Amino acid sequence: MAPIDSIGGLEAYRRKLAEAAEAKADMPTVLVCFGTGCQANGAGPVAEAFRKVIDEQGLKLDVNLGIKTTGCHGYCENGPLVAIRPQDILYLKVKPEDVPEIVEETIKGGRTVERLVYRDKATDEVVARYSEIPFYKHQHRIALRHIGSIDPTDIDDYILAGGYAGLAKALAMDPEEIVSEVERSGLRGRGGAGFPAGTKWRSCLAVESDVRYVLCNGDEGDPGAFMDRSIMEGDPHSVIEGMIIGAFALGSHQGYIYVRDEYPLAVKNLSIALEAAREKGLLGENILGSGFSFDIKISRGGGAFVCGESSALMRSVAGEVGEPRAKYIRSVEKGLYDKPTVLNNVETWANVPEIILKGADWYASMGTEGSKGTKVFSLVGKVNNTGLVEVPMGISIRELVENIGGGVLGGKKFKAVQTGGPSGGCIPERLADLPIDFDSLTEAGSMMGSGGIIVMDEETCMVDVARYFTNFLVDESCGKCTPCRDGLPRILDLLTDITEGRGGEEHVALLEELCDLLTWGALCGLGTSAANPVLSTIKYFRDEYDAHIRDKKCPAGVCKALITYSIDPEACTGCRLCAKNCPQECITGKRKEAHVIDTSKCIKCGVCKDVCTFDAVRIS
Amino acid sequence: MEKVNVTIDGRTFEAVKDKCVLEVAHENGIYIPSLCYNSEVTSSGGSCRVCLVEAHQGGRMRLVTACNYPVRKGLEVKTDTPLVRRIRRGVLELLMARVPDSEVIREMAAAEGLTEVRFREDTGENERYKCIACALCTNVCAEVVGVYAISMINRGADKKPATPYLKPSDVCIGCGACAYACPTGAITLKEKDGVRRIWGKDFPMVRCSVCGTPYIPEAQVDWIVKRTGKDRSFFDKCPDHR
Ligand SMILES: Cc1cc2nc3c(=O)[nH]c(=O)nc-3n(C[C@H](O)[C@H](O)[C@H](O)COP(=O)(O)O)c2cc1C
Ligand code: SF4
Ligand code: SF4
Ligand code: SF4
Ligand code: SF4
Ligand code: FES
Repeated sequence: MAPIDSIGGLEAYRRKLAEAAEAKADMPTVLVCFGTGCQANGAGPVAEAFRKVIDEQGLKLDVNLGIKTTGCHGYCENGPLVAIRPQDILYLKVKPEDVPEIVEETIKGGRTVERLVYRDKATDEVVARYSEIPFYKHQHRIALRHIGSIDPTDIDDYILAGGYAGLAKALAMDPEEIVSEVERSGLRGRGGAGFPAGTKWRSCLAVESDVRYVLCNGDEGDPGAFMDRSIMEGDPHSVIEGMIIGAFALGSHQGYIYVRDEYPLAVKNLSIALEAAREKGLLGENILGSGFSFDIKISRGGGAFVCGESSALMRSVAGEVGEPRAKYIRSVEKGLYDKPTVLNNVETWANVPEIILKGADWYASMGTEGSKGTKVFSLVGKVNNTGLVEVPMGISIRELVENIGGGVLGGKKFKAVQTGGPSGGCIPERLADLPIDFDSLTEAGSMMGSGGIIVMDEETCMVDVARYFTNFLVDESCGKCTPCRDGLPRILDLLTDITEGRGGEEHVALLEELCDLLTWGALCGLGTSAANPVLSTIKYFRDEYDAHIRDKKCPAGVCKALITYSIDPEACTGCRLCAKNCPQECITGKRKEAHVIDTSKCIKCGVCKDVCTFDAVRIS
Repeated sequence: MEKVNVTIDGRTFEAVKDKCVLEVAHENGIYIPSLCYNSEVTSSGGSCRVCLVEAHQGGRMRLVTACNYPVRKGLEVKTDTPLVRRIRRGVLELLMARVPDSEVIREMAAAEGLTEVRFREDTGENERYKCIACALCTNVCAEVVGVYAISMINRGADKKPATPYLKPSDVCIGCGACAYACPTGAITLKEKDGVRRIWGKDFPMVRCSVCGTPYIPEAQVDWIVKRTGKDRSFFDKCPDHR
């Protein structure tokens, strides 16, 4: 097909797609999630099975079936996910063996296969309709608007769903007007720092230069977050469209998407999308006949957490070592190749087309005073429903954990959430009514970061949590500056001392001093935020530090050096299960009599507690 | 060159716009400690953090590294506040714990009234003893010498300068610029019987035809001849006898 050469041409093309879709509206559609999570869980064979059954039964003739593969629905734990339209049914954990039954019952008979639908763990209620599942019901999807419902490798799907209409609108606007619109929307960067996107664009526009670059940060180094991956894999055109709009507003002709090296599917789907956009005349020379030209290249990540930091990223894109540099001259003035550069995160860019299309007022009507719109969170940890959720800014931590997350796993007590990735902080249950937005999280000693939210229950030791994240940061420190390179290992030493029972009264004061040094003295954001895990746990869980230091006890029963295992003779039935499983063979006792642990040999592996069906093993 | 007024510790000076705070301070007799910065090497600085000072600008205060913070109109710098002192001491204490044997660091710390380290001292591998991973050596080799024989390898506390694969470098010319630039004297350069040893490699030296002193590695002469087209005979005599 020849490239579309006008805005009207795009609308005509969209109408043509809509007519074709209209004609097939009643036809059943099977959507198999092809996100990384579902593929790992076996989505490929499931899609194959559908194709096979449909071919065998010659269903094409009577029900005319379309099979689409989509991006990640964010509910990976229950994958592979299969959605059936027009009934809007979502099947979870589908196996190839289930396929004939789904075809027979649902596609041909219009009935639901109950054993494959969502069942509420608390109420035992079954929910078949996709949009009624609590995990989705409370969400409001803007950045994730198409994910799971379109085929990311088919540009027509995106256009049919309204794609590139934001670009068409923008091309008819004044660049100045576009920047104002983004400013008024209140959109703040989703990559961590929450810098207002419009302000960044405006200051870049103010710098005189022939050459400007727009960059997309798809490095996503936070090990617990996967929203950027999900968007790049599941709706790559939304990012590309956002970048073209940004480039048009800023007068840039070259963009780069920096993709984390571990994301091959994102690279693949982005490449397919870029090529398709070029073919359709939406990218490259003379976009939609407007006279404006812009193209995008993909740049593969340098493989370290710190490569996602803006100055490191720009060096890496330019082929240098991905190491941070002092940003005393802002990158909107001197960024990539020393030219004015705007860098925004994947999710930030994905919001842009919707803001232009629906207007700043629409976007700003959601969220809180200082944080507008919605945010994607990756909800993980000790919670019933885990996955990606997009909700309006300002939702409380409790709502997120209870309504969407379905409460804490196993009915245990909710203790805290850790937000913001490895250098975020912990917020205790008593502050769970706090609205989640950039400023409240920062005030509480944590941060929005990438939007990772880890739910912790009563069996989590907060000193151990601080040690865990510090350990991650020690490994990820690039080693360029003294406070981070040499300070973090000292912090880790002190925390390890505390968790191993060697902590003294002076340890906490020393920790606070080192944290102060990092916050003020480190070169880049990794170091300046690295104190959060330590300071927030000291602030909210000081009693746990004291218990480790003064009483040499770990109240949560986690720190091995400070706990002992024993068997409660009242509860033990003498079933011998623990004794059979103990790797140290240090549990003795006669059948049907209470057993005893030889603590001198016990290595505190916890196996006995895990296997005991009578809950007779105690930690103290 | 555009000039701007900048205030340092209450005194106002005229300075070239975008020059770094450290140089403007030193020109005017105000001392700010530094380790990783060398005014001849534009890529140096920003790493050791001993030069952190308060920068007040546009109603905002930040702690910045004087060695690469550009002076702009209306900038006010404070080099001697409780915050600056506290962070500088902290940085020096970490450096002392890292390289307990370094005289330079101990002296700089003593000037801040710091003699004891409260953390576990590093007793790491010898080669990194005294090295504060400041990258000045690699920056000098690349930017000033133009040879790229060494680079910073590893991450975090293990970061250090090294030749590729830790093997004697094919391109090193034995000029020793890295060793002269190193703020802590962490690079060993030995000369014996007309042979210089640096980075695990031996470099035969050219002897001065007048005084007989070995004064420059042959490899360095080869390199200069190749780069500049200078006549080889120029190097027959040492600078003192030319
Ligand atoms: C250590 C470190 C790692 C970072 N990693 C990422 C990342 O993986 N993705 C990202 O978008 N931003 C990351 N950032 C934030 C970027 O520096 C930058 O602020 C962001 O990409 C700007 O885009 P935004 O304004 O749209 O958020 C990181 C920052 C630091 C200090
Ligand atoms: S703060 Fe850490 S990651 Fe950032 S430059 Fe310094 S050493 Fe590298
Ligand atoms: S904790 Fe492990 S080693 Fe100790 S008694 Fe239980 S099973 Fe045996
Ligand atoms: S001695 Fe070798 S490593 Fe050192 S500066 Fe000269 S060429 Fe570079
Ligand atoms: S050897 Fe010297 S100059 Fe090189 S990194 Fe170490 S301390 Fe810096
Ligand atoms: S001298 Fe400025 S950071 Fe080292």
